Amino acid sequence: MIRIRLERRLERHWWQTVLTPTLSVLAAFAAGAIFLAIKGFDPITVYRELFKASFTSTYGITDSLTIAVPLILTGLAAAVVFRMNLFNIGAEGQLYLGAIFGSWAGLALTDGLPTILGVAVVLIAGAVGGALWAAPAAVFKAYFGTSEIISTLMLTFIALYLMRYLIFGSNSYWRDPESANFPQGKKIPTSARFELFSDTRLHWGLAFAIAIALLIWVLIRFTSLGFDMNVVGSSDSAARYAGIPVRRTVIIALLISGALGGLAGATEVAGRAYALDPNGLELGLGFTGIVVAALARYNPFAIILVATFLGGLRNAGVALQGLPGDRVPVEVSLMLQGAILLFAIGGEIFSHHRLSISRANPAVVT
Amino acid sequence: MSPAVEAGPGASPGQPAAIAAVNVTKRFPGVLATDAVDFCVWPGEVHTILGENGAGKSTLAAMLCGLYRPDEGHIERDGKQVRLRSPRDGLAYGIGMVHQHFRLVDRFTVAENVVLGDPHQARILDRRAIEERVAEIGEQFGLPIDPRAVISQLTVGQRQRVEIVKMLYRGADVLLLDEPTAVLTPPEVEALFTTVHSMTAEGKAIVFISHKLGEVMAVSDRVTVMRAGAVTGEVATADTNQRHLAELMVGHPVEIGTRRGSNIRADVALSATGVTVIDGDQTLVDNIDIEVHRGEIVGIAGVSGNGQRPLARALAGVITPTSGHVTVAGADVTGKGPKAARRAGLSFVPEDRLGTGLVPGLSLTDNMLLTRPRGFIVDRRSARAEIATAIDEYEIKTPGTEVQARNLSGGNSQKVLLARELAGLGDPGGPQAIIVSSPTRGLDIGAAEFVRGLLHDARERGAAVLIISEDLEEVRSLSDRIAVLYRGRIALEGATDELPFESIGLAMAGVAHEEAP
Repeated sequence: MIRIRLERRLERHWWQTVLTPTLSVLAAFAAGAIFLAIKGFDPITVYRELFKASFTSTYGITDSLTIAVPLILTGLAAAVVFRMNLFNIGAEGQLYLGAIFGSWAGLALTDGLPTILGVAVVLIAGAVGGALWAAPAAVFKAYFGTSEIISTLMLTFIALYLMRYLIFGSNSYWRDPESANFPQGKKIPTSARFELFSDTRLHWGLAFAIAIALLIWVLIRFTSLGFDMNVVGSSDSAARYAGIPVRRTVIIALLISGALGGLAGATEVAGRAYALDPNGLELGLGFTGIVVAALARYNPFAIILVATFLGGLRNAGVALQGLPGDRVPVEVSLMLQGAILLFAIGGEIFSHHRLSISRANPAVVT
Repeated sequence: MSPAVEAGPGASPGQPAAIAAVNVTKRFPGVLATDAVDFCVWPGEVHTILGENGAGKSTLAAMLCGLYRPDEGHIERDGKQVRLRSPRDGLAYGIGMVHQHFRLVDRFTVAENVVLGDPHQARILDRRAIEERVAEIGEQFGLPIDPRAVISQLTVGQRQRVEIVKMLYRGADVLLLDEPTAVLTPPEVEALFTTVHSMTAEGKAIVFISHKLGEVMAVSDRVTVMRAGAVTGEVATADTNQRHLAELMVGHPVEIGTRRGSNIRADVALSATGVTVIDGDQTLVDNIDIEVHRGEIVGIAGVSGNGQRPLARALAGVITPTSGHVTVAGADVTGKGPKAARRAGLSFVPEDRLGTGLVPGLSLTDNMLLTRPRGFIVDRRSARAEIATAIDEYEIKTPGTEVQARNLSGGNSQKVLLARELAGLGDPGGPQAIIVSSPTRGLDIGAAEFVRGLLHDARERGAAVLIISEDLEEVRSLSDRIAVLYRGRIALEGATDELPFESIGLAMAGVAHEEAP
């Protein structure tokens, strides 16, 4: 009789932390290949096109990096609190609020300002909007123990409909009055826009997002606030013992997370959409941030890489439709993304445990 | 086939052992839990398995009762080899185990628990017959118990009786008692020993598992000592003493003795006046006054759950007492939080070392910083140097300073905790008063001795030390004064050397001092 058991690993090597996410991605692609084959597509061709569309051509990689900008920020939003076992899954809603606040600030405050200041105003407003949207969830969590998973998710729906209302449902300040037939957001002045890299769609928001990742790394690793967050995340009881204010730390952490989500919305406004635009704004960037954070194991630098990779996958979805023959559905990239998260979570157990396969000795009776 | 062991005291020649483990080896991943161990118990004998945590005594017991199967070797019952695949198999052979953590259904009655899961029980319960039988067994072996009582209303000692009755009801002739005294008050321990002896008088074989030397000497006929999975000695109790047993357990001579403070000063460094903690409608700590002088160790004795934890937390500022005051080195720190108490000179080693005292997911370096003031930027250099020094001085076994605290054993985490909490001892800005909860619980003899040495040293260097422990032996060996906690109140207080053992025991059990015989 052969017995298979999971045993806790006594030691962990650095390569194991890299191996699991890599294998998860490969497993997801393998699973995706099966579906593609069933639908009658050649997986190899589809994947080759996919990589060409997202990474191996100049436009492909710059477009992937463009989507990576908000993904880095929503990834950080998730990572900063997930590692404390606080699950803000509402970066999506915080992103919308960041876009609403950011575009308002861009429209109202930046006319005539130098670009760098104008962009800064948009970003700060976006961060404030995101933090404000996380605030109710943070306070309820800290004082009443309300599940932040539920509250942040519900706030996301409110944010989505708020944003739609502002453009489609009312003659709000954000709506372009000249777009009567097809409602659109008012464009923010150029003084509030990130500059582009030569003739690509990639903008300076990338440098900003990378700087924020560095800042978050410093916060977690070197500051007293980060230390307190680590303690609260690891053990409530130890935090209370040491006199660390648990409630305050939980609230601050969730506000930072919300601000990062808001920044993601603001960079979309200042770098890509230039307006509050429920159609032009990529949907699902906040939720994808959760996948980014999980796959990057909450490491700020790994988030930059993973965001680029997943940004590329999103990007490829559209490109795949241009393939000759039967159209490859856009959903392929979404499916791959979901499969990656699933395998990453499933694979997590193997970075802490190993499989032990043994032959059980049949007991010998003399 | 007869076991390869000689007949011991109490055995008639030619009679087989009631139960024997022959050359049993059990491996777990990375651990050799028992290594070719021989062990046997004669009918009518109490045979103790003595050893420190991790010595393999529980593994051996688990193999004797059918919970584990040996990788090599085998188990014999009355001289015949048996294959035990489960504890139910064990019971079928008349082998019963009383676990340290009871396995009773709280809402069932005693009688219901006794027959619960018994494969020989008829489908339709004859309650009267069962209850009569339970009462009968209780009477026979000195285990007074009401068969109709609901478990949730019973004390810990009574619940243990139910467990024993359960095994006897099912016809166990071999009883394994795993650390049975850990949860009992001294009078309950005495009652248990009486029961044990009435069982051996009936020819039952008792395996007693313990690491407490005093009890082992008092209750057993023979002792098998284990260390690191191997048997280091098998001796008749009559031919040995505590010192010798301790040596066999640890592998080198051990100093067992009491030490008192030689330098107790007049000034009080830690005091509580009228401290009361009320949670909801429960009074956890009831109007407690304590004074600990510099150079003195005061011990709080008591059975677990009588207010030790809330008292320690209230003194250390982790919770705010409902009323009363706490002062540290003259400064009133009541309700000002743990940081204020620390600034005034209070150190606190909580009973939950890994999870409260230390953060499991942080490195040792970061854990050194847990209770220290930190600037905006955390400076790890001095903490790293400090823990590196402590690793050498305290002989902490760890791969390095950056490993997570969760990887340390109980003894090593307690050393890290003490290294942090005792740092700066003797300096004006260092700790003036130290609260230590369960200082040596779960530690092996060597580590426990080391910890006691540190506390003794802290006392000699002028700190006021308050220890809170359920281990009465420990409290008595370390403390200059003892206060017994019962239901949140101090039931008895006095100089250790003037308090008779019996009075402390009675006070722990809730019998008022005046009523004591």
